[in-house]
Amino acid sequence: MAMILLLLVGCGSKEGELFTNPSPEKTGITFSNTLTESNDLNILDYLYFYNGGGVAIGDINGDGLPDIYLSGNQVKNKLYLNKGNLTFEDITEKAGVAGNSTWNTGAVMGDVNGDGLLDIYVCAVVGINGFNGYNELFINNGDSTFTESAAQYGLDFETFSSNAAFLDYDLDGDLDLYLLNHAVHTQESFGRSDLRLQRDFQTGDRLLRNDGNTFVDVSEEAGIYGGVNGYGLGVAISDFNQDGWPDIYVGNDFHEDDYYYLNNGDGTFKESLKEYFGQTTRFSMGNDVGDINHDGWPDIISLDMLPEDETVLKSSEGDDDYQIQKLRVGQFGYHYQFTRNMLHINQPGGKFKETALLSGIAATDWSWSSLFADYDQDGEQDIFISNGIPKRPNDLDFINFASNDQIKTKIDNTQLVDQQALDMMPSGNIPNYVFKGTSNLQFIDKSKNWIKRDTLISGATAMGDLDNDGDLDIVTNNINHPATLYINKTDNKANYLKIKLKFPGKNPYGIGSKILSYHKGILQYKEMYTVRGFQASSEPLVHFGYGKDTKIDSIRIIWPNRTTQLLKNVKVNQTLVIAPKEEVQATYPIFVQNKNEIFKKVEGNLGLEFEHKEDSYFDFNRQKLIPYQFSDRGPAVAIGDLTNDGNEDIFFGGSKFMASKLYVQHADGFKEKAFPTIKKDSIKEDVVAVIEDFNKDGKKDLFIGSGGADFFNEMPPLLDSYYTQKDTTFVQEQLPATFQNASVLARADYDLDGDMDLFVGNQMVTNDYGKTPYSYVLQNKNGKFEILENESLNHIGMVTDAVWDDYNGDGTLDLIVVGEWMQPTFFKNKGGTLIKDDMDLDQLNGLWQSIIPFDIDKDGDKDYLLGNWGLNSKFKASQKSALKMYYADFDNNGSTETIVTIKKNGEDYPIEGLKGLSEQLISLRKKFTAYKDFAGKPIKGILSEEGLKKAKVFEVHELSSGYLENNNGNFTFVPFNVELQMAPIMTFLAYDFDGDGAEEVLAAGNYFGVKPYHGRLGSFAGAMIKSKNNVILGDDLGLDFSQRSIRHLNIITFKNKPYLIATFNNEKVQVYQLINNIGK
Amino acid sequence: MMKKISLLLIFVILIGCQKKEEPIVITPDLFHESVDRVTEIMIHDIFSPPVASRIFAYPNIAAFEIIAAHNNEYKSLAGQLNDLTPIPSPEPSGKVNPKLAALIAHMDISRRLIFSEEKINIFRDSLYTDWSSKNPTEFNASKDYGLLVADHIAAWMDKDNYKQTRTMPKFTVNTDDPARWQPTPPSYMAGIEPHWNKIRPYVMDSAAQFKPVAPPAYSVEKSSDFYKELQEVYDISMKITEEGDTSEEIAIAQFWDCNPYVSVTRGHLMFATKKITPGAHWIGITKIACKKTDSDFDKTIYAYTKTSIAMADAFISCWDEKYRSNLIRPETLINQFIDDSWKPVLQTPPFPEYPSGHSVVSGAASTALTSIFGDDFAFEDDTEIRFGLPVRKFSSFSEAADEAAISRMYGGIHFRAAVEVGVKQGRDLGKYVVENLNMKQKSELATLEQ
Repeated sequence: MAMILLLLVGCGSKEGELFTNPSPEKTGITFSNTLTESNDLNILDYLYFYNGGGVAIGDINGDGLPDIYLSGNQVKNKLYLNKGNLTFEDITEKAGVAGNSTWNTGAVMGDVNGDGLLDIYVCAVVGINGFNGYNELFINNGDSTFTESAAQYGLDFETFSSNAAFLDYDLDGDLDLYLLNHAVHTQESFGRSDLRLQRDFQTGDRLLRNDGNTFVDVSEEAGIYGGVNGYGLGVAISDFNQDGWPDIYVGNDFHEDDYYYLNNGDGTFKESLKEYFGQTTRFSMGNDVGDINHDGWPDIISLDMLPEDETVLKSSEGDDDYQIQKLRVGQFGYHYQFTRNMLHINQPGGKFKETALLSGIAATDWSWSSLFADYDQDGEQDIFISNGIPKRPNDLDFINFASNDQIKTKIDNTQLVDQQALDMMPSGNIPNYVFKGTSNLQFIDKSKNWIKRDTLISGATAMGDLDNDGDLDIVTNNINHPATLYINKTDNKANYLKIKLKFPGKNPYGIGSKILSYHKGILQYKEMYTVRGFQASSEPLVHFGYGKDTKIDSIRIIWPNRTTQLLKNVKVNQTLVIAPKEEVQATYPIFVQNKNEIFKKVEGNLGLEFEHKEDSYFDFNRQKLIPYQFSDRGPAVAIGDLTNDGNEDIFFGGSKFMASKLYVQHADGFKEKAFPTIKKDSIKEDVVAVIEDFNKDGKKDLFIGSGGADFFNEMPPLLDSYYTQKDTTFVQEQLPATFQNASVLARADYDLDGDMDLFVGNQMVTNDYGKTPYSYVLQNKNGKFEILENESLNHIGMVTDAVWDDYNGDGTLDLIVVGEWMQPTFFKNKGGTLIKDDMDLDQLNGLWQSIIPFDIDKDGDKDYLLGNWGLNSKFKASQKSALKMYYADFDNNGSTETIVTIKKNGEDYPIEGLKGLSEQLISLRKKFTAYKDFAGKPIKGILSEEGLKKAKVFEVHELSSGYLENNNGNFTFVPFNVELQMAPIMTFLAYDFDGDGAEEVLAAGNYFGVKPYHGRLGSFAGAMIKSKNNVILGDDLGLDFSQRSIRHLNIITFKNKPYLIATFNNEKVQVYQLINNIGK
Repeated sequence: MMKKISLLLIFVILIGCQKKEEPIVITPDLFHESVDRVTEIMIHDIFSPPVASRIFAYPNIAAFEIIAAHNNEYKSLAGQLNDLTPIPSPEPSGKVNPKLAALIAHMDISRRLIFSEEKINIFRDSLYTDWSSKNPTEFNASKDYGLLVADHIAAWMDKDNYKQTRTMPKFTVNTDDPARWQPTPPSYMAGIEPHWNKIRPYVMDSAAQFKPVAPPAYSVEKSSDFYKELQEVYDISMKITEEGDTSEEIAIAQFWDCNPYVSVTRGHLMFATKKITPGAHWIGITKIACKKTDSDFDKTIYAYTKTSIAMADAFISCWDEKYRSNLIRPETLINQFIDDSWKPVLQTPPFPEYPSGHSVVSGAASTALTSIFGDDFAFEDDTEIRFGLPVRKFSSFSEAADEAAISRMYGGIHFRAAVEVGVKQGRDLGKYVVENLNMKQKSELATLEQ
């Protein structure tokens, strides 16, 4: 009884394990951003009615205690003086900072006039909905009073401001300002992306140069966009490319792209988003910058609004339809954007790698502010995310079924609102999130442990050490609720270092300085920027955590003026105040890239101008519920001497209705040559090909596996092709007729009769995904092929790759086959008979894409590297929680469909929502007439019992790429490190790429044939695997594989030198020279 | 003991209910109400115009077949509509009230076609309670028969390929050819019902029977016919939006908008203003005509049935051409070549431009109605009052159809060719329906004098 009582008490407490929330009564911080909805002003009149106010933390009176300023939308702003012991005094009136604008937004502190005192800049929305006023600048008088001086400084903007950020973009020593404005442009049409080029006074962002206490608008000359469609909600400043000049990342809501401004160092910026990002958040909200992987390169988190909860997820409007996305990107010129948080890992020399799904932070619902910091002081960056919205306007039932005549009338004529319609919008008060960082890009959700579960609508968020105990506390500005203080209780459980800067001149807080901490060989990197998160600024300090370690080897500071100083053997648990000491210049770049360039792109491609163009067939229009596409698995590539001159030629397959191309090697490069028999077969989609002398007449022949997933039943273009070389032409030969979508051709003389046989692996049956295709060995009989019947091999599954290799060391080539929804399967070759070998890999079903033998652990036997889907996607699978695919003719219309589910809280939920499922299973529209009836239901609540019963269920237990480690003929799966899990690994190639005399394996991947809900799986730049713990990523190797979807890697010999050929889907082929391997 | 008490109770209740049976009177208004209910639910469930036309047709046909079997004035559609066979005969007890059975069949087929069944069930159950208390014998016999006929019609209906078209491939936008249709603002929805021409026609021999001439050839040369039509849409739009509220053309465009799902987006706030479809508008006009002429129950069903069949075939015929020519909408081109911020007065609906659906349907429906109520039938159209639109007066169905057609140009969503060719296509089709469908025992042709 006593225990129960205790538990109950425990539940009711205001304590999280890491943060406690002292009450407003105790702290004196009673500010609440109370919103008063009226008939003239609500979410219908102003789209950002619920974005909330701002919060800024900083010591305004120099007593060493950080003070708090909170801005309100409709209520007056408040300044709370920190009196110590977490008690605060409201000095707003005396200080004169209550503000006069009708609608305040972001509030930030910064020393605008460079007098060493923090001033306060408060943004406002002015000029719509009867909002008056202007952005106010409260200059600190040094006696806890302020003088509003915005006009004097030229900062009294009457625009739609959401926030402002301080930076010294021209490095002239004073603080300039980036003013973030938001659009109210109607959402009626996308408009072309070049709308951003026409400046708009009220909505356009501005860059304001500090010319000695007056600010000058330099936006236009600096190359800052200021269009009518920039819904700026997030701004982050950092030296992203580490060239010493501050850069800017701007998050824009809705269809406008985010902006990535790289500072040219001459007063101008170059917006470079598409060049460096594969995809971004769609409804970009707040963002933050931090180096989460200890490489000294700033990474970015940008927030969106994907719900984690199934019920909310399935009743909210989701991502665009694929065709709309195509239109928006192709016709209107926008970039790929998806509705979920994105974590962009900075990759020097390449594109940012986006890892939010892999990192576990993609879905935090309606999110406003994110702050990176080491809250538990273990040396890794954690993340706090505030979220919530009083009403969810994207609720599907609301959208579809609200009584809406009144709303429309209201919007058009500002008449009375139908309150009932507004009431139909469900509330979105969801608990804030906090994640614990780890050393491998993954974050652990600690929302239920570290903080008390709240039901607050929290927006702007700022950090500071409010109680001066060394750990970081948080303040959130909430809607209709007093601001929350999250007081950190790490205290002396882990070690810290706090640094404050004293920089001479007009930037006393050293904004833009870089601080590098080294301990135990670990780098922690920070930049001093205070405007972070969303509509907020944090205390101007830098904070590091060290766990139990007590010794910091060194602290390096690089000041904005590029001078630097080094502090050695720094003690933990103290606050250092550092001023520049000596005039030592830092040398840029400060981080010498660990480049290991062994590949170099060949200009002119040796004449290989082949550019693969995918045809317009779109699988999801016909097979609406398949998990991914199959029509994009080409093109085929094959290398061999087709002209009998001793030199290698190359064949590239074409997609459906597009001719293949054959390039012949000449002394000065490759030249296209047409072989009419082959070319005329352009109707087929060539997915795989092999060049080999099958009929042993001394001339190479060509075998092509066809697919494309469009042709179906017994349509002739599904037949594979076999051409033999006669004289100088090719003649088409007969093949056993099987109508399949090919995925792999693996050749070997498995029966040791002196000619090459061929394993033909097939991936799927068109219009009937889930049905096992027919795969087989073609036995070569004097140049003619016959199918070798083998029941267990013929129906093995949805094959993607295969390799002949003597895994049991008996001297004959065995066959190992991998595929999707199946386990890697071994067939031992017993005197020409292939017998399935049980390797006890039952729990190893994957979405396997590729396999290659390689002794990765260098123990002398052969292991098998396996390319899988990777961990950076919406698919989730483990042995306990399998990814499942239900396959049956659920709607009894004579054709089958598949439903893919992922497990959450022990139940299998379809990935597709009601809209998607009912496009195929229309009866669901009748079963669930409202989204709320469907949302939150697992598959057993959606399909009928009969439907579930008749379904064949496929499972995937493993999505990691990895290898099968050979332990005396037994195989154990070992997953690769996280850097190889960024995207599907589509292909491997073994070769001595670096010329060190030993073979390495090159892995490459990425895949885009998924619905917009999945985003784009493009963050893998390729990697060279030398051994288990020696992996070099593609960007460092000189490879340009990121955001391209590779199909094949090949080595071709040209003038006795090896070249790497990388063949992509829907892209131009790439040719690389091997810098260190110059051949024989 | 318990059992005895309950038996007693039932007995008492039965005794209590025992009263004199009175005949059940079914008025035309009750049928109008049933049709109105269906229209209402369709607005809620959001059916596209072609699908809505099908939902109107089958319940009416079921009701009409029962009426035709009992009223010598009318003639069954079995053998006249493609694949329709005669409905079963009622039990020879003579207890079936054909009007009641017709209404029940109408409700039952409607229930099968819409999504939100509970909405129709509430209406039905309250009627059932009333009828069964008045005259359980007549009610039960009529109900059994009505549902039997409904099963018969449903079996025929289920073979019209609708179910198959639901799971046929979605429309693939052709982005390579500039003349082809592109999704339009604000929701850029994919083309709806690309396979509607695969639905079994009702009277027509095939979807392509009334295939219109091809639209003017796409060209962005200013001197081309096509471009001139493009410019015309823009010019009209600019002129009438300048006139603003006083513009008669805008009033006409809005009156005939009949878009079941107009998307509205304000930031994250999204919703749709939902209205009736073009078909429902003409069903509304049918009701006005019936009431104005004080048509009896049987004639009312006859009028609804004929009009809804003509419209259902009109949608098949129209959609056949829409996805054949797959023509781009004025909005896309005007934004591309003339004015990138131009918006049409009406929201562009999500399917190819040519021909205008409202024009074809109005042509067909007005011809059917003229054959029933005559050419000079003046009426006041108050169908759209519930959407805040005024009453408009017409001197004939044909005049209304012409106005509905041209409204699409005023609305900025169609070129002239789509409107003019469309209304002609509809009239030809309507005439064919009228001439080939003998719904009355005596020839009806006399009434169609145009």
